[in-house]
Amino acid sequence: MNRNLFSSSVKKGLTFGIVMIILVLIDFEVMASILLSKLLGVNVIRGALPQVRFMIIFLVLYGMFVGWVASSNHEKSAKKLFQALVAGLTVAMVVGLFDLVLNQLIITGTDVRAYLAALGPASIKLFLLEKGALGSLLHLGLFTGASLLGSVLKILLKSDPVSHFLKSISTVYRGLRAKAQANTPDWIKKYGKYLLFLLIGLSAFFLPRMWGSYNNYVVGLVGLYVILGIGLNIIVGLSGQLMLGFAAFFAMGAYSVALLNAPLPLGIMLGFWPSLAIGVLMAVLAAVLLGLPVMGMRGDYLAIVTLGFGEIIRILLKSDLLTAFTGGPRGIQDIKGPTLFGQPFSSDIDYTYIILVFMILAIFIFKRLERSRTGRAWMAVREDTKVAEATGVNIKNSKLLALCLGAAFAGLAGGIFAARNQFTGPNDHQLMVSMNILSILIVGGINSVPGIILGAFTLKGLPEILREIENYRLLVFGGLLVFMMISRPEGLWPATRPKIEKDEGNKQKAASPPGKGGQNG
Amino acid sequence: MADPIIQVKNVSKIFGGLTAVNQVNLDVPEKYIYSIIGPNGAGKTTLFNCITGFYIPEKGEILFYGDPIQGLSTNLVAWLGLSRTYQNIRLFSNLTAVENILIGLHPNLKSSWFDAIVHTRSFIKEESGSVKEALRLLDYVGLKGYGDYLAKNLPYGLQRRLEIGRALANQPKVLLLDEPTAGMNMNETAEATHFIKRLRDELGITIILIEHDMKVVMGISDRISVLDYGTKIAEGNAAEIQANPRVIEAYLGPGGAALSEKYIKQRQSYAQSH
Amino acid sequence: MENENRPPRRYKRSNLSKIVRWVLGIIVLSYILWRLYTVFIVQNEYNPDIWFRLLLSGLVIGGVYSLIAIGYTLVYGILRMINFAHGEVMMIGTFAGYFVFEATNAIKLTSSSGEVTSLSNAQPVLAVLLAFIVGMTVASTAGFLLEKIAYRPLRKAPRLIPLISAIGASIFLQNLAQLLFSPLVRDYKNPALIARGQGWPVTIAGAQVVIPYTGVLTFSMSIILMFALYTMVKKSKLGKSMRAVAADKPTAALMGIDVNAVISQTFIISGLLAGAAGVMWGLHNGLVYYYVGFLPGIKAFTSAVLGGIGNIPGAMLGGMLLGLIESIGPTALGISYQLKDVLAFVILIIILVFRPSGILGEILSEEKV
Repeated sequence: MNRNLFSSSVKKGLTFGIVMIILVLIDFEVMASILLSKLLGVNVIRGALPQVRFMIIFLVLYGMFVGWVASSNHEKSAKKLFQALVAGLTVAMVVGLFDLVLNQLIITGTDVRAYLAALGPASIKLFLLEKGALGSLLHLGLFTGASLLGSVLKILLKSDPVSHFLKSISTVYRGLRAKAQANTPDWIKKYGKYLLFLLIGLSAFFLPRMWGSYNNYVVGLVGLYVILGIGLNIIVGLSGQLMLGFAAFFAMGAYSVALLNAPLPLGIMLGFWPSLAIGVLMAVLAAVLLGLPVMGMRGDYLAIVTLGFGEIIRILLKSDLLTAFTGGPRGIQDIKGPTLFGQPFSSDIDYTYIILVFMILAIFIFKRLERSRTGRAWMAVREDTKVAEATGVNIKNSKLLALCLGAAFAGLAGGIFAARNQFTGPNDHQLMVSMNILSILIVGGINSVPGIILGAFTLKGLPEILREIENYRLLVFGGLLVFMMISRPEGLWPATRPKIEKDEGNKQKAASPPGKGGQNG
Repeated sequence: MADPIIQVKNVSKIFGGLTAVNQVNLDVPEKYIYSIIGPNGAGKTTLFNCITGFYIPEKGEILFYGDPIQGLSTNLVAWLGLSRTYQNIRLFSNLTAVENILIGLHPNLKSSWFDAIVHTRSFIKEESGSVKEALRLLDYVGLKGYGDYLAKNLPYGLQRRLEIGRALANQPKVLLLDEPTAGMNMNETAEATHFIKRLRDELGITIILIEHDMKVVMGISDRISVLDYGTKIAEGNAAEIQANPRVIEAYLGPGGAALSEKYIKQRQSYAQSH
Repeated sequence: MENENRPPRRYKRSNLSKIVRWVLGIIVLSYILWRLYTVFIVQNEYNPDIWFRLLLSGLVIGGVYSLIAIGYTLVYGILRMINFAHGEVMMIGTFAGYFVFEATNAIKLTSSSGEVTSLSNAQPVLAVLLAFIVGMTVASTAGFLLEKIAYRPLRKAPRLIPLISAIGASIFLQNLAQLLFSPLVRDYKNPALIARGQGWPVTIAGAQVVIPYTGVLTFSMSIILMFALYTMVKKSKLGKSMRAVAADKPTAALMGIDVNAVISQTFIISGLLAGAAGVMWGLHNGLVYYYVGFLPGIKAFTSAVLGGIGNIPGAMLGGMLLGLIESIGPTALGISYQLKDVLAFVILIIILVFRPSGILGEILSEEKV
């Protein structure tokens, strides 16, 4: 038994050791130390290195994490400590070897930055805690000790807050809601809904005026991605058609507004609202054109074809051939914004209002569609297409409708996006955009509106807010996707099916209250 | 005698080199319980697939109330009033039981996506009506209380019932059941048999049944057809089929008829001497 | 129980999509024929030497695409998933080869006559061989780890989940490379013997065309590797196991096949091929950067689908075809070279519309009712 624990701890230690080396090779430890430094109040000038103690703190935290993970849940405390010790030592030895190499680099003055961009002498010295060769010994002590500390923490806490945190959001919400429903007096139940709407309405009106244009920008971005997420959800989540080129419809909307509302290249100034409507129509038209030929295709083929479609649109927009029509690689500038009753309505506050209104509209439409004959037909198509058809659903019409409605949302979002940025170009419509929207859907929770909002915030809002990790944003994004799929594929806020039988029963209870010789107890 | 509701005329279904259904002829009179039996691989499910539109037969016609329906897409076949269940249950796994039945109602409803978004009066009426109807059907097939369970989480027996519920939602004229009692024990089988009979008696639905359990087949069928290697080898009522030597040979193999006769004589003589 | 809502009787299967398909096909075909006519008959400005050059380049790039496409098709056949991160495995191979050449270039040897040359130039065969071996090994290790970390835990999940994981892995690997090696675009330092652009001069229709050394090397290696793989799949025990697992995983397991091992080995093999393709890309095109695997990855996947996914000869055919279309297509049709990818995707869509299972057909079981 001990040997098993030993080898598994060594394996974990090796993994963490290698991870640490990679982190050093990408300067991650420096960035993390800067973050810690700022968190603890010591500001770091852009481009400068943090103080050594923050590096120490980072290493200690890392060590604690190693110890935590290495101590498996089912062992006695002593065994837990043993695992942590072994893991910590292994990490220390691996990193120690690496330190020797680093130290050699410093001594011989070799600069490997031509190959490994992060190994500048200053970073290396910082990692070695400014103690040169002694740094390895320090690492040894730090990792081993911190690992033990992490284990102790786990022993004391007796449970796993990390998985608790991951489970928490939707369960906590539901728990609170259940408690609330049990404890609120009747008058709140009746009028509470309206009160809530009033509250939301007021904050939606006043907050954008108060929290500055940067927050408006972020909220607007998140809102647009919620609209996009809902559109894609109709296609992928409800009707089960895997679509990888969703950005193409987004581009239709963006370019329609851009082309019809900017001085170059066409000089038509149609006004924002009409061109937005046309943008939506163009997106729907594109959906029809794409949808009709590919109706019969199987899931993965559909995926690559839609990906190809998205790329075709992007390349065409970028090409010199069509520059006269599309503005080419440089895009379209000076797009004019909306007006309301003749007055310009294009400040950042106004855009936030527009986006919020449309976002609420999108959510509203989605919820209505979901719980209808149309929505159920989509879900049947998703679950088992052949049987859905045998049950009476017209598959082609159903799938095409889903494509068109989803595309409409994308066109809408695209138009607003272009006008708000006052610019759009082919780079706004790359494959990455489609991947982002798909990720929001999956990470947030497919078919779940709160999930989509949460996903949009996590994947679009947070990175804007956490500017520090700018360089590592995509790395974290990619890693997060893999991590989420392995640990929580149902998303941050999973969808639930409606409880129709229960609701109907409640309705009947409400209609014929007990005391009238109640039928069902 | 009324015209048969379903007529299969000389239907053949050929897959490359294999003739799965070979010039099969049968007539199903209205409101009958008509069973199709035969050893495994005889082409029974293939025939079902031809009738319901999953396959297009290479030869022959299939008539519903005298109108040809072979080659129609399966959703049109459903619109016309034919519903089916499947040999290996095919429910919409990630939807609730009620939702499964609601989808079964699809051909009878007419709201569009626009009605759904705007909540027109006709939509509201239709939606609440369909929920009530779905719950009624849920109760009818004995799944009351299970409505909000995900279909994949239901126990096997209840899944089978749900599939029938979904098929019934279509208000079908003809119900094709593919091995409805597979995997059931004696009690469940008896219940299911009783239930199938009710469907015909109470709702006037014509039932076409593929079955392996002879108790069920002989118990409730008004007429039985036997398929073997794609060909119909016998048709008749229960007694006729049981006595038919070709049928016995199909199940027991060549020489089976003689063996079976010998065994029957043995039993008779045993019964006589005791 | 009469139901008034039944639609009027319609006895034909809906023909609208068939009509649309044929209209689309006719439009595209007419356009292609018109362009070909314009280019060849009317303008006829291109001499055979240009076509020859384009043909060569198409074959070379086709070979590279084929190798990567085989990787996609192997993984798809066995796991029914699109290994989106496969392009990055190729990128890893390219980088590995780059570092080998940097090393061999840096090691200086003094010959007996006192001349100082790099190891690269003194022993080019050794250097190239080393580059391929290291590149293929590193790439296959990467492929192995990729499967172990990002795909194996998701073996039983619905299709969308591993796809997102693959996308995440792809983004992760790209950015890891960018952070490790910086966004700098680097050059492969080919040994002098097979420097880029050098080759055998040939006279075609009066003009000089160079058959590049790197091109010949790349193409022949592609053919050799493809042949080796095909033989392996058809004849060897591993190949049989792979086909068994691809056809029916549970039954293969019941037959005693170690499914996990077979899957790992599949990833290793596709990694080997992708790594080779990566080194070839570096030798022939010269460019190494973190994003280098993205476009070839997508194109290779397109080729696999074009040929019929799950179908190994299909992947080879699709890769070659795509390479040739990319190379010769724009000039043949008189359209801008920028639009070569548009052409490739349009061809893909057309083929899939008329032959939904790809050119050689997919090797997957029919859905049973």
